[in-house]
Amino acid sequence: MPSMNLVLLISFLLFSIGVAGVLIRRNVLIILMCAELMLNAANLNLIAFARHSGTVAGQAFALMVMGLAAAEVAVGLAIVVALYRKKNSISVDEINLLKG
Amino acid sequence: MENLLLKIGQNLFLIFGLMALGGAAIMVAAKNAVHSVMGFLLAMLAMAGCYLCIGAEFMGVAQLLVYAGGIVVLFLFVVMLVELSKAKEKGVFQRQTPFALVLAGAGVVGFVGVFWKTIFGTSAQEALTLAPGLVNQGEKLGNAQMLSRGLFAEYLLPFEILSVILLVALVGAVVLAKTERV
Repeated sequence: MPSMNLVLLISFLLFSIGVAGVLIRRNVLIILMCAELMLNAANLNLIAFARHSGTVAGQAFALMVMGLAAAEVAVGLAIVVALYRKKNSISVDEINLLKG
Repeated sequence: MENLLLKIGQNLFLIFGLMALGGAAIMVAAKNAVHSVMGFLLAMLAMAGCYLCIGAEFMGVAQLLVYAGGIVVLFLFVVMLVELSKAKEKGVFQRQTPFALVLAGAGVVGFVGVFWKTIFGTSAQEALTLAPGLVNQGEKLGNAQMLSRGLFAEYLLPFEILSVILLVALVGAVVLAKTERV
């Protein structure tokens, strides 16, 4: 059984890699994947704390987060496909309609 | 040899965690989007291994099914649907990449500074160590049974709301992605 410190550290590093990916990539698909990675890091924390406290609430919540992540991916990829039809590109630099 | 196997078995979580970190790094750094998806797949598989290592068997299998089975395939479909020209004219990373990396590094340093004692201090080591004996009825019930009791008894309402959200997301995805010829 690993120590809690290790779990927290790995989960934090995964989360920061996800944040860095969202900040530096131009491709919308990869930004979506990085968001998924951040949700997964949070899930790892939830499961570790569920184990630590000996209750099942954390695992149940992590399962719900997983379902929400699936819904998010479905809608996000549909938006990406619609965007590609409209703009013929999936770079976030091209998505600047609100800028005027 | 046996000693080595024993050591690997003791540090299985660390190995899976490092695999997940490596997959995530590949995902962020790869130029080709398909390689990024492969890195994502590696990260998700390793995360499933991590879940198995910390005693959440059901979550590990669900991670395998949902992510490796569903979401990665969905991403691959969209990459092949969308990514026509691999060579982008303006480069992979944003202009402000150095600033973003500095900012993320500062975040890491700040976090480690704040939680230094929690993560590495000797005083907090014992309080935060995962205690296998803490799971009271889990050992005799089994992980999936315990989880189902939580999910279908205590947290039934959030579960049902989640199912409605999934239905809405399904309909929304179909509406968003369909062509406007009709």
